Amino acid sequence: MGKARKPIQIVILFLIVLVGGYAIGSSVFGGSGKPEEGSKAPAIDLLGLDGLGHTLDEYKGKAIVLNFWGSWCTPCVKEMPALQAQWEKWKDKDVIVIGINVGEDQMTVENFVKQVDIDFPILMDTGRDAVRSYGISPLPTTFFINAKGKIDSIHIGQLDLDSLDDQIGKLVD
Amino acid sequence: MSEREAFITNTKCECGHQNPVGTVLCEACGKPLGKESDWGENLEMRYDGVARRSQRVNPSIIDRVWNFFSSVKIAIYLIVLTLLGSMLGTIFPQESTFLNIDASSYYKQEYGTAGDIYYRLGLSHTYESWWFVTLLVMIGASLVICSLDRVLPLYKALTRQKIRKHRQFLTRQKAVLVTEVQEEPEAWVARVIQPMRKKGYRVKKDGGALLAEKHRFSRWGPYVIHIGLIIFLLAVLARGLPGLNMDQHLAFPQGEITQIPDTTYYLKNEKFTVEFYTDEEMPEEFRGKKILPKLFQTKAVLYKCTADCGDPTKEPQLAEVTTHDIQVNSPLDYKGLKAYQFDYDLTPVLRSVQPGLKNSTTGETYGKFKLDMKNPQRTITAGPYTMTLKEKYMDFGLNEDGQPISKSPYPNAPAFLFLIQGPNLPAEGQQYFYFPKQVDKSQFQQVAINDKLAGSNRFLELEVDNMSDVDFSESTTYLNIRIDRAMPFVWLGAAIVMLGLVLGFYWQHRRIWLTVVNGELILGGHTNKNWFGFRREIVSILEKVDVVVDEKSIDNGGGLT
Repeated sequence: MGKARKPIQIVILFLIVLVGGYAIGSSVFGGSGKPEEGSKAPAIDLLGLDGLGHTLDEYKGKAIVLNFWGSWCTPCVKEMPALQAQWEKWKDKDVIVIGINVGEDQMTVENFVKQVDIDFPILMDTGRDAVRSYGISPLPTTFFINAKGKIDSIHIGQLDLDSLDDQIGKLVD
Repeated sequence: MSEREAFITNTKCECGHQNPVGTVLCEACGKPLGKESDWGENLEMRYDGVARRSQRVNPSIIDRVWNFFSSVKIAIYLIVLTLLGSMLGTIFPQESTFLNIDASSYYKQEYGTAGDIYYRLGLSHTYESWWFVTLLVMIGASLVICSLDRVLPLYKALTRQKIRKHRQFLTRQKAVLVTEVQEEPEAWVARVIQPMRKKGYRVKKDGGALLAEKHRFSRWGPYVIHIGLIIFLLAVLARGLPGLNMDQHLAFPQGEITQIPDTTYYLKNEKFTVEFYTDEEMPEEFRGKKILPKLFQTKAVLYKCTADCGDPTKEPQLAEVTTHDIQVNSPLDYKGLKAYQFDYDLTPVLRSVQPGLKNSTTGETYGKFKLDMKNPQRTITAGPYTMTLKEKYMDFGLNEDGQPISKSPYPNAPAFLFLIQGPNLPAEGQQYFYFPKQVDKSQFQQVAINDKLAGSNRFLELEVDNMSDVDFSESTTYLNIRIDRAMPFVWLGAAIVMLGLVLGFYWQHRRIWLTVVNGELILGGHTNKNWFGFRREIVSILEKVDVVVDEKSIDNGGGLT
């Protein structure tokens, strides 16, 4: 009877390790649900200003600078020219700058884009879905995502214009 | 080392049965094993004296892990540690009890240095911390292994009971009777069966020996409790799986269909009403000082998306699934999705106005058009005039350079800039600023701005006739949306625990062994509790076969409870 016992013991201990491992693992790595530096960039599916739906998968293999903004937020307005300059500089080197407008209507976004004269892709998060999945609280917030789809760094508040160029350069290397 | 040696020497009983290591009472005849000096007055009847699974010679690593968790002592330590850990979580409120706080600063602000230390130690989320979850997992492992380690050998021992037991086994029970019997052994034993059956015993006979047993199922009570606890723990654990649990607080402005994130459901707050207690209804000390709501209710309609869900380029197609007047303690409940009344905000939010274009020289008014705050029409025809919406500011203000901007995305002070084209106007059109709110019109001096833009001889004005042309969202209701699909399993686990408790507490496993040899009756009885009632039962059974004994004389010591 000693022989039949062992496989049962092993199976039960294995199940305990499996279930227990899942429980402990999710409490350690589950965290707050907000994406952090090093974690995978959450998926988005938003309407672009071009009238088409866009996801991050479209830009697979490219580094992404994901900027959350609102037309009423002064620092957002201030950093737009710098983002545009970086977009022009890097767009041929597999870097894409994407602006996500938070909760405003199409007219506001269109007028804003015209006013600040930017031409990188703009997505509209009217339902604040991306805001929720990226855990955005203050605007602007910028995510630097590498070509593997991992978040390299997160910048909350107005971008540091001096280091922006280096930060993007780091993404490409 | 010496203990192990002792185990090896004493496993074969004199009746010829080979017992596994760790056996206390021979599995066959019940004779106590081990050194005579170790025997106490009464027998150790736990698990009927059989060896637990974990008791074995030369344990391997797997055995050692198994043995660790099979120990009741370890289980008790684990439970005590978990209790102490749980207490830590009650010192300050847990993070999960707050909405929208920044935990890293909140605890320091609110509770000072102690709060800061509390937060830094991770105790602000005690019940989700790795060490607490580890303790729970270990208790779960201990439950499973302790049960298996005991229930299987016990089950075997109880199903393979021998009727004829060793004399020692009988005389060292806690209820014992040794007396003379004149009759033939078989005849006497046959006579005692009937009164025993009447008392609910199942009786097995083997010549002059007998085993009567009842309510064996009560022995499984503790193990049923353990099964219930394991289901309970697994259900709580399963709440972490995607889709099984949701708990969010959402705002629903009146009249707007709002999506419930991460679901295909949409909810519309058709009307929110709040009633307050009048002064007469309130106790004196509250009168004139407090405003207390008596009732708040959200007329809610729940929709489910049927097509084009999640496609940002299309409008989702919705189908109404249910309606409910949500009040406190009366949530909307649809297939496990629950919406509880949580809070409200009575600040009205402007949604649209319907102005007309008035020609102040002729007094004519052209058209009445709807101007939405969100996604407004961009070209409007009013009589002979065409109006193009150029700019829109939700919360009008001026920036440092004196340019018009919107200070926030909320329609607190909406302003619209139109370009009007038509008869008697310059070919390139005339600019016109419009503030729908009366208070903004004067504050931002609409007339002065427009005079500046178009000159003082302008004759067109946008005007709203009456309040019925103004659409407000009167209030916003806040609902707590919850899904908890693991809850039925939590209840199931709790119900099974209850069943196990009832099994274990309301019945007792009672056994009577007896042998009649050479004119002598030897009776031994065992139960797990209520020895007093058990002894009375034995006495009343013996009375039926004309053996009169005193209740106390059956007591062999120790069986007082």
